[in-house]
Amino acid sequence: MSRISNHIRRAARSIATALSVLFIVTTALPATAQLLSLSNTAPLPADEAFQITVADQDDGTRILSWDIAKGYYLYRDYLAAQTESGVSVALDTDPGIEMDDPTFGSVEVYFDTAQAVMGPADGPVTVTWQGCQDGGICYPPVQQTFAALDGGAPVAAVAPPADGIVLAQEQGMIDTLRTRGGTVLVLAGFLGFGLLLAFTPCVFPMFPILAGVLSGQGDTLTARRGAALSGVYVLAMASAFGLLGVAAAWSGQNLQVALQSPAAIYAVAAIFVALALSMFGLYELQLPQAWTRRLSSAGAGRRGTFGGAATLGFTSALIVGPCVTAPLAGALLYIAGTGDVWLGAGALFALGLGQGIPLMIAGTLGARVLPRAGAWMDGVKRVFGFVFLGMAIWLIGRLIAGPVILALWAALLVGAGIFAGAMDLLPADAGPVRRGVKTGGVLSLIAGAIMAVGAALGGSDPTRPLAMLQSVAEPAGSVTFSTVTSASALDAAISAQPDQPAMIYVTADWCVTCRVIERKVWPDAGVQAALSGVNVIAADVSDFGAQGQEMLNRLGAVGPPTMVFLNRDKSEAPGTRIIGDTGPGAVQKSAQVLQ
Amino acid sequence: MKQTTRRNLLLGAVATTGAAGIIGVARFPGATQAKAQELTVEDVLFDPVNPVLGNPDGDLTIVEFFDYQCPYCKANHPDLMDVTGADGNIRLVMKDWPIFGAPSVRASQLALGAVDVGAYETVLAALMATKGRLSEADITATLETAGLDLGELDGAYRANRGQWDGLMARNDFQAAQLGLRGTPAYIIGTTIYPGTMNRAELKEAIANARA
Repeated sequence: MSRISNHIRRAARSIATALSVLFIVTTALPATAQLLSLSNTAPLPADEAFQITVADQDDGTRILSWDIAKGYYLYRDYLAAQTESGVSVALDTDPGIEMDDPTFGSVEVYFDTAQAVMGPADGPVTVTWQGCQDGGICYPPVQQTFAALDGGAPVAAVAPPADGIVLAQEQGMIDTLRTRGGTVLVLAGFLGFGLLLAFTPCVFPMFPILAGVLSGQGDTLTARRGAALSGVYVLAMASAFGLLGVAAAWSGQNLQVALQSPAAIYAVAAIFVALALSMFGLYELQLPQAWTRRLSSAGAGRRGTFGGAATLGFTSALIVGPCVTAPLAGALLYIAGTGDVWLGAGALFALGLGQGIPLMIAGTLGARVLPRAGAWMDGVKRVFGFVFLGMAIWLIGRLIAGPVILALWAALLVGAGIFAGAMDLLPADAGPVRRGVKTGGVLSLIAGAIMAVGAALGGSDPTRPLAMLQSVAEPAGSVTFSTVTSASALDAAISAQPDQPAMIYVTADWCVTCRVIERKVWPDAGVQAALSGVNVIAADVSDFGAQGQEMLNRLGAVGPPTMVFLNRDKSEAPGTRIIGDTGPGAVQKSAQVLQ
Repeated sequence: MKQTTRRNLLLGAVATTGAAGIIGVARFPGATQAKAQELTVEDVLFDPVNPVLGNPDGDLTIVEFFDYQCPYCKANHPDLMDVTGADGNIRLVMKDWPIFGAPSVRASQLALGAVDVGAYETVLAALMATKGRLSEADITATLETAGLDLGELDGAYRANRGQWDGLMARNDFQAAQLGLRGTPAYIIGTTIYPGTMNRAELKEAIANARA
């Protein structure tokens, strides 16, 4: 019956419309009036097929619920939410029904109802969903913007901005690191640092503690039991480090932003220098002796048990070594800078594990297998000192002119070379290790000298210090940018070419990676071809102030280098954004998607 | 009454500037500001750029707004091709309306690029024979298996990028103006049929359009 009445209704509408002249342009009819008439039962409008309701929670999250009409379904994968600045907001969803028949391939969908818990977010949030009528029609994505939560006020839907840039759902720093294979490198690096730490005097106080754990076994200690006990001890210690990493990363979620300010960068660089000086033995950083003593006695009552080993490992992790503190602080700063909780936990766990490897060997085979203490252990500490100084230079490299930084690198390398004994005479009977170290020292000295020359010539790229000596003939052609330094100029530049897609390249004088991109990406012929017909705009944030920050906010970018690809309709093409170092291939790939 | 509905005349053209702003134009400000003022049947059925399948001189035009990732578009594509082929007097216009994100856009770009390479039908057939969702890798693999040179297709698309992007922009604009709710949507003669159609429904719609 409803089908027939639908037909009648439509027919009536058709007749009414037929009264107007064929093909005339009327300006009074609403846009939904029919140019062509509808035939069979029309699918529901998307907002009737999928009705969304939002419930605010006290903790700042919101529960999104969709009431899905019978015979319609939503795709799980296409549910998304993002803030005005394009930052993606986490949606926690239940698994859907796997549609896995020949027509669908494999997708997860929801029938009848769908629910998502949306994490807290600043400002208005735009939620996107997409679905189909089963066996009928698939809808384009539907979007609705919900106002910011403030103090439990009712949530009202606000119209999405009709104009301006629409940012794609952004992948976070975590994904960027992962896609670059960075996670494995970071974890491996921290494991290595941990191992290195184990060969500083830092770890010595742990031997008596571990020996105490093992001695509880009396004479019955077997190698297997020893391995198990020391393994538990080390795992507990690594877990404690991991927890510290989580805390650092959490506290550091906002540090990335804070680090955009020059003052903060100088401050952190100064901390690294202070840590480095500690590693060079100028002073000791350590917790009060009283804490150390109390904590190391905490597990002593349960010697020989796994519980005791775990307790001791956990508590002794952070306090026993007089020199662990400085490297640990450095590691925590690094992790805080990434703001990535899982990476932070993993990296610090790896650090603890690396540090514990010699302990496990000692626990299994007895302390005699370990190398004897000696002056070389202070050498290992110095390695950390140089690493920290390098971190400090790398940080202020964002702020200070290239040649000065290059000169600092030169000084660091020369210093490292001298400390490695590059200028010391080797006795004739020197062993291979000492000769190897001296070789490294001399190489470091030479590299430092070359950089010093490069700095004097006005060079700025540590990887090509003498580039200034080469002919200045640029590779033929490059991408020609129109440069803007404020959000309003950015808007103007985008709308100056309304018929073209746009690519916005966030750059700055102090951005070293940007120099690399300018050398290897823009001169590339393939990139130039891919960007032909694209409005290319350089958003310059060299002079970092409110103007620059506003541009970054507009683009949802953290800082340079970032490339944002906008379609003709000023919406960001999903999955095209490039953050950090990149190559011609990635830029071409992103440019190709533009329409 | 039913007959009246089915016969369906082409009734009028629409779109006020203001209303268009709500639906279509806001998404493609540059492409359609001028054309947004009016939309004719001619525009929809006889876009000068859109490739035509079937019999280009046929007495009846079937338009399908589709997406290469839309399961229903693909499921009834063989029926559509069979019915138009057997009829022999139908112009078939497949209008690219990518609504499933980047892979859909990419697929449409390559298919349209194939027009100038003389491989449009091959690309269309290969992509429409896939199942469900596609990644860019799926698209590449599908087309390479079909013996196509991706570089050539992409180059051809790029050489005429303005034209093809303009076409897709028009399609999107028309879909909005016509109030199409999604893919697939068919226009047979001058009647809009939203959603998938089987062989029998297609034949009936064709007969009605010619009646």
